[in-house]
Amino acid sequence: MTSAAPRVEFPHEPGTVPQPHRGAAWRGLLIPLGFLAPALLLLGIWMVYPTIATMWRSLFSDRGDAFVGIENYKRLFTDDLIFESIKNNALWVLIIPAAVTAVGLVFAVLVERVRWSVAFKIAVFMPLAVSLFAVGVIWRIMYQQDPERGAINAAFAGARGFVAEEGVLSRAQPSTEMLQGSPAQGFTFRRAVAPGAVAPLGLTAIRAPEIPEEAKDAVLPGPLENGITGVVWRDFSPRGGTTGKVDPGELGIPGATVELRDERGKKLDSTRTAEDGTFAFAEVPEGATAVAVGQGTFAAPFKGVNWLGDKLITPAIMFSYIWVTAGFAMVIIGAGLAAIPRDVLEAARTDGGTEWQIFRRVTVPLLAPVLTVVFVTQIIGVLKIFDLVLAIAPGSSVDDASTLAYVMWQRSFSGQNLFGLGAAISTFLLLLFIPFLIVNIRRFRADTK
Amino acid sequence: MASVTYDRVSKIFEETTAVDELSLDIGDGEFLVLVGPSGCGKSTALRMLAGLEDISEGEIRIGDRVVNNVAPAERDVAMVFQSYALYPHMSVYDNLAFGLRNQKVPKEEIDRRVRQAAEILDLGQLIKRKPKQLSGGQRQRVALGRAIVREPAAFLMDEPLSNLDAKLRVQTRAEILKLQQRLGTTTVYVTHDQVEAMTMGDRIAVMNAGVLQQIGTPEELYTNPRNVFVAGFIGSPAMNLVPVEAATDGERDVLRQDGFAVEVPEGMISRLRERAPSTLMAGFRPEHLHLSNGEPANQQARIPAVVDVVEYLGDEQLVHLHAGEVNLVAKLDIDEGRVKPEENVHLALPLEKLHLFDRETEESVGVPTPA
Repeated sequence: MTSAAPRVEFPHEPGTVPQPHRGAAWRGLLIPLGFLAPALLLLGIWMVYPTIATMWRSLFSDRGDAFVGIENYKRLFTDDLIFESIKNNALWVLIIPAAVTAVGLVFAVLVERVRWSVAFKIAVFMPLAVSLFAVGVIWRIMYQQDPERGAINAAFAGARGFVAEEGVLSRAQPSTEMLQGSPAQGFTFRRAVAPGAVAPLGLTAIRAPEIPEEAKDAVLPGPLENGITGVVWRDFSPRGGTTGKVDPGELGIPGATVELRDERGKKLDSTRTAEDGTFAFAEVPEGATAVAVGQGTFAAPFKGVNWLGDKLITPAIMFSYIWVTAGFAMVIIGAGLAAIPRDVLEAARTDGGTEWQIFRRVTVPLLAPVLTVVFVTQIIGVLKIFDLVLAIAPGSSVDDASTLAYVMWQRSFSGQNLFGLGAAISTFLLLLFIPFLIVNIRRFRADTK
Repeated sequence: MASVTYDRVSKIFEETTAVDELSLDIGDGEFLVLVGPSGCGKSTALRMLAGLEDISEGEIRIGDRVVNNVAPAERDVAMVFQSYALYPHMSVYDNLAFGLRNQKVPKEEIDRRVRQAAEILDLGQLIKRKPKQLSGGQRQRVALGRAIVREPAAFLMDEPLSNLDAKLRVQTRAEILKLQQRLGTTTVYVTHDQVEAMTMGDRIAVMNAGVLQQIGTPEELYTNPRNVFVAGFIGSPAMNLVPVEAATDGERDVLRQDGFAVEVPEGMISRLRERAPSTLMAGFRPEHLHLSNGEPANQQARIPAVVDVVEYLGDEQLVHLHAGEVNLVAKLDIDEGRVKPEENVHLALPLEKLHLFDRETEESVGVPTPA
């Protein structure tokens, strides 16, 4: 106990409460109004007035000089690009809110179990701090088709390198008729081969820069008792020479794929040529009848996926949107997870639940209100998607990526000056928002009750 | 059903040792109460058994199976939480059925067991309600029901009565006991309330600061507390604990305290000296004190004291007194006569009810028996 007397404040006794005097009622109204005024003023100028003005404007011609009634709405529903935009918007609404919620949920659950969870959270949340347009610019660059320029295709090219190697040559032709085929099938040596055979596989019509630097003068190897030997070389010499023969100064082709094939052309064994173009199969598998320069020699390099082309542009933009919003979803859902009583989850664990059963039957149902918030917020966010479309889609495919907000901007402000139509699109978009806004407001009211 | 064994189990949280080499053998069908003040490690010990905390050292066995690395779901135990931890989005029925559904028990079997548990616990009318629509006592019964439908090897209860009001607590205490006797399931029950421990446990394990102090039947703990902590913790009102010196005052043997001396039978001090130092802690329970007006009777210690406050309890009176600087509490039968504040009284204590502890180690040196 402290020695200082505690300070006690006594409530007003009945009857001693200061009575409101005249004009107090008016003042009672004035003070809240005073606090509300700045917000009302700003909302009035920037929200209410523009909304009404836009709806009114949609009834006038593009130049605003003639009242056209619902003419602009008729145009709206006969415009192919707008139709495409509605389709895209529908795709966005169907896919993105569910995807963002799911990804956020997975992140939120996993992040609780990682050691560096704060670092991970920051990394996932960071994109939200970048302006959407800047995000678009970043992804536009990352989506470049050339693996030398676009990070995503570079990553794909890197990953591909482990699976299938690029061939040494892009194209070639046989130097004699002893070889038949095409780069796509490989070139087969026409003579049947048996142990002890030596196969000269001459190629020509090779672009000089494609011959690897380490290439040495070709040599025709001697026969092997039980195997097959040979050489793949550039059967061309500026000083002449005989086609089909390894002449001095002709270069071997290192790294070419050589295959042993059976009658039906099926690959039985394969090897690579040495620096002087020679190859050797120490043993000949049963059924091997032919030797061939494999098509692997001519495998085309990875050219990159055309992310920004008309087919993939919408999925590409969607992916970048998920990248931005997953952090938001993760944080909100994470807060919801933290609010679940630990006891309940522990009870479920002792109640014989596996992690998955607990997640599905306890965690997710308890998170349902939070998941709904994220979901509805995303629907609203997705309906108005604009900046990413503008920033990511190049001119050639922007029509395939178009959304309502984008087409509204394009029709009105990108130089087309179709302001009547633009206002009609805006009004139409507003109508689409209303159901979700009502749902949100209803839930907000239910929460405060 | 199975026995439960703690074999030198420790739990170390970074720097603090929450449970220190706990060893317990809990028999099949036994009702064991883990009791101690908050923070003594009793809940941690239980949570390790449930699988909700890792075991730092030692081994826990359920039956013959070592469960250290077995997931909670696989341990075949059911836990009842202080907060009840009901699934708020499920009806009572679904709460009860949750564990069985996880184990893929056939539907008819689930239904039979849930209905049976609901009947035992008188939840029949409430089966379709959500936890939010239930009272505290009803929720508590659902939590119990969730444990019994599983028919587990052991019930683990973590202060299941703490959130109930006093009257309901006494009632539910009896219900849990009846239920346990009927089902015969091994039960480990954690509480901080020694009354709960005394009334419910077949045996009681008293813990303090992570260390097991004593384990025994309620009667053993009451009559033979092994150390000062158990002596002070078990029993209500708490045992009087008075630091005393064993001395010989002229020809008389006394236990001396600053303000007063208690005469004890001849020869007792010399016998005590053989096994204990002379600085002792004397302990005696309020209910073992009586008023004494006449001469010192045989085999009784006499304590002169002054009454401070009297709490009247109907058939008994709880008397707070002081003897010298020492505050004492006595629970006196009303038939012994009402006492009043400021009254000088003599308290008599049968010597076989006197506990003596080594003040240094706080261990019991036994009840001094007459020659």
